[in-house]
Amino acid sequence: MAGNYDPSFAKEVFDNVDSGEEIKMCMQCGICAGSCPLRHEMDYPPRQIFTLIRAGRRDEVMNSKAIKLCTSCYRCKVRCPRGIPVIDVMHGLAHYGIKKGIIPRKGTAAFGGEFWKMIYNIGRIDEKTLPLKYNLLEGLVPGIKSTIEMAPMGIQMFLHHRMKLLPERKIKGIKELRKMLDKAKEMGKGGAN
Amino acid sequence: MDKNIGIYICTGCGIGDMLDCDPIAEMASDEYSVSICKNHPFLCGAEGVDLIKKDIEGEGVNTIIIAACSPRVNYDVFDFGQDKIIERVNFREHVAWSQAEKDENTQMLAEDYIKMACAKIGRTDLPEPFKAEEEYSKDILVVGGGVAGMTAALETAKAGYNAILVEKDPKLGGFLAKMKKNVTLPYKDISDTGAEAMIKAVSDNPKIKVYTSAAVEKISGGPGIFSVEIKANGNSATERAGAIVQATGWVPYDANKLGHLGYGKFKNVITNVEMEEMAAAGKITRPSDGKDVKNVLFIQCAGSRDPEHLPYCSSSCCLVSMKQATYVKEQNPEAVNYILYKDIRTVGQSEDFYRKAQMDGNVFIRGSVEEVGESGGNLYVSANDELLGEKIKIEELDLVVLAVGMVPRSLPAEIPKIKAPSDSKEADADGMIEVKPDSGFFATSALNLAYRQGPELPTLKYGFPDSHFICFPYETRRTGIYSAGCIRRPMEVGKAKDDATGAAMKAIQCIEATSIGMAVHPRAGDISYPEFNMSRCTQCKRCTEECPFGAINEDEKGNPLPSPTRCRRCGTCMGACPERIISFKNYSVGMIGDMLKAVSVPEEDEEKPRVIVFVCENDAYPAVDMAGIKKMNWSPYVRFVPVRCLGSIALVWVADALARGIDGLLFMGCRHGDDYQCHFVKGSELANTRLSKVSETLDRLSLESDRVKFIEVGITDCDKVPAIISEFMETIESVGPNPYKGW
Ligand code: SF4
Ligand code: SF4
Ligand code: SF4
Ligand code: SF4
Repeated sequence: MAGNYDPSFAKEVFDNVDSGEEIKMCMQCGICAGSCPLRHEMDYPPRQIFTLIRAGRRDEVMNSKAIKLCTSCYRCKVRCPRGIPVIDVMHGLAHYGIKKGIIPRKGTAAFGGEFWKMIYNIGRIDEKTLPLKYNLLEGLVPGIKSTIEMAPMGIQMFLHHRMKLLPERKIKGIKELRKMLDKAKEMGKGGAN
Repeated sequence: MDKNIGIYICTGCGIGDMLDCDPIAEMASDEYSVSICKNHPFLCGAEGVDLIKKDIEGEGVNTIIIAACSPRVNYDVFDFGQDKIIERVNFREHVAWSQAEKDENTQMLAEDYIKMACAKIGRTDLPEPFKAEEEYSKDILVVGGGVAGMTAALETAKAGYNAILVEKDPKLGGFLAKMKKNVTLPYKDISDTGAEAMIKAVSDNPKIKVYTSAAVEKISGGPGIFSVEIKANGNSATERAGAIVQATGWVPYDANKLGHLGYGKFKNVITNVEMEEMAAAGKITRPSDGKDVKNVLFIQCAGSRDPEHLPYCSSSCCLVSMKQATYVKEQNPEAVNYILYKDIRTVGQSEDFYRKAQMDGNVFIRGSVEEVGESGGNLYVSANDELLGEKIKIEELDLVVLAVGMVPRSLPAEIPKIKAPSDSKEADADGMIEVKPDSGFFATSALNLAYRQGPELPTLKYGFPDSHFICFPYETRRTGIYSAGCIRRPMEVGKAKDDATGAAMKAIQCIEATSIGMAVHPRAGDISYPEFNMSRCTQCKRCTEECPFGAINEDEKGNPLPSPTRCRRCGTCMGACPERIISFKNYSVGMIGDMLKAVSVPEEDEEKPRVIVFVCENDAYPAVDMAGIKKMNWSPYVRFVPVRCLGSIALVWVADALARGIDGLLFMGCRHGDDYQCHFVKGSELANTRLSKVSETLDRLSLESDRVKFIEVGITDCDKVPAIISEFMETIESVGPNPYKGW
């Protein structure tokens, strides 16, 4: 059966998703898709996410892997000839999904939460504790198992001075950073919950 | 004129290091009894030029051979007035920079070039500018009173010239006056058309004479001396003009051919022109029941870029649909516009209006229509959505607008061809059919030229009377007649205004050049023109047929009647004439013949072949120059002979050269065919045809056909020049020396 175009989902996105309205300007050139390092993992590249929104395919978009996979590399945003903040839209869609309960707090969504919390607490990432915390979300036993699996990488990181044995300390000026993070959250950008 | 020759060799720019200049001077004074022959280390410097000037004054030198850099440079420095014959020998690019240092062969090459120059000036006379018997008119006739025509007339007046504007309708303005709004620079939003103000400016301008409800009945004469018969409102008038701008515009492609898109079947399927007229009349409604419109779908490229309809892009309909979508939204902000496109082509800055249309929330869908249908009184469109990769169906549509393209309002001499539908019985071998006059290609006369080669401007394959659009915009294949606006190619209002301004400027250039007997592009400034020795004419009609610019009419007996002001000085007629009765004061069959004879041909056992390369002055010669500037090397056995256009080559040169023992002849000219680059339109093509008949000559002399070759060289092909030459030299080596050597 031929699908129908339904402008109502596009309107929902324009009104509720961070930078959602900017995707009106997308001209489907595909530069974002060509630039995204994760395009092979994504079910729909960013360009197609925007087509789907335009066509009104709410389910496909909100359940897509793509919006959860974005690693914030910024390549799309930097390259988009129409100046669309593609990454902001991708995250915006994911947040909107989480808020709406469509996207469960699992996987990248959960990782994002832990990441935010840690940044909020100490102002930086502790390469030891972040994966541990994230793994433990799966439960104690699987969590420990996953962490042990990652041990060889940890050792390599240690040998290359990419990880310290001692716990990371809070950065100077953590208070100022928290103010900024609070402001960002207020603006709807990010936030752990 | 008694020629008093002076030869000046520059030894600067490395020439002196590569050549022994003294023996060359000796050779010239011995063989051609040239008394003045001087070297100078910096001839284009003040001192060098002074040296020549002193000889002009003191010694009465009036014929000057300058062996230095390419004639393409320093022409202003070495300009000693129209009463001197100047011949430039290219010692720098063609010898010093491209040949081996102090080599015997390099030396011979340089000597040959001096000999050829001496032979050439022997046959050169000072040209005198042509002056018509009638008085020259400096007025400009503009045919067509739409945006392009009105702009051309206004610009003409602004530049201080008079314009005569002929419009077929009772009112000026063309389609501009029928539009509701316009999208033009800076393309941020829609704006008023400004038609009324423009019409008023034209009507009020004392320098513009307007004829409405008028048509051009006949144009005779040529640039500077056009006589124009106009019929207006039933009355006849005659005007004189110096140049013409044709701005007769366009007609929309006939939507009746677009039944597959629902046109003619459903009342609510309309064209973009009908949409515009409806909007301009007040309100956009459903034609079927007059109700309001909420959902509108625009089908882009309706019949355009379609080999069975209009094979080309009209470049403005994308913009037009976005403009009309804006009307719909202005009327009802809740309305939804779908724009179904193949590609969005908002060229240049008009991309900004595309952004605006996107920001307005119009839905752009890339794909192709499968079906336009009706259900429950509303239209639906099924399409292949290319970006979604699915078939889609858009329902509840109030209006479907077909973005049809533009057809030039011209009368092409050859009927355009399009791809035949699969069930067509009339298709030719290539699967093409001629378009029927009713098929949307418009056929209408505009100029009614009393020219032997036809009453209208020759057109490109889809009826646009353009010349080469990149190299020579506004030029047509009729001198002094320029095309502007949508008759030249489809375009929107902003571009049409630019176009008209450009064409008006070209027309003024033409008038001014003609009035002092000078040629226009591409030989701007040339004052020579072809002269016919009529007593020997056999009425073979080759010149009248082959002149690419229709410059030669014919009397009842078939005698050629040249119109020098229409002439572009290409020499095609000269090459075409079997009786060799057409020549220029400074360019003739005999002159080139003498140059060929001046080339020394070593004996066979010396193993020094000789090859003549005829190079078109417009593209091939600069390409060779550039190869020289890049210090690329080529065989010292070739001698370049510049020609005005390959169209001017005479077959007798081939016979003469081969009979003297020249081993091969290479012809370098511009690309021909549909996307020709020939500056004289047909010259290189005609040369190619002429050369294909050269085999008879070769057979008669029992020579191999490989000895003569035609090759297309563009101005950007400089890197290929040495390879082309080496390849030809290899061929010559393999066929062996010309047996006529030493005869
Ligand atoms: S790069 Fe920008 S304009 Fe191009 S497809 Fe991606 S979002 Fe759209
Ligand atoms: S920011 Fe996200 S969507 Fe954009 S290129 Fe990087 S990973 Fe892909
Ligand atoms: S301007 Fe647009 S609609 Fe018109 S022919 Fe070109 S691509 Fe098609
Ligand atoms: S062929 Fe060329 S030179 Fe001869 S009349 Fe025509 S334009 Fe002039």
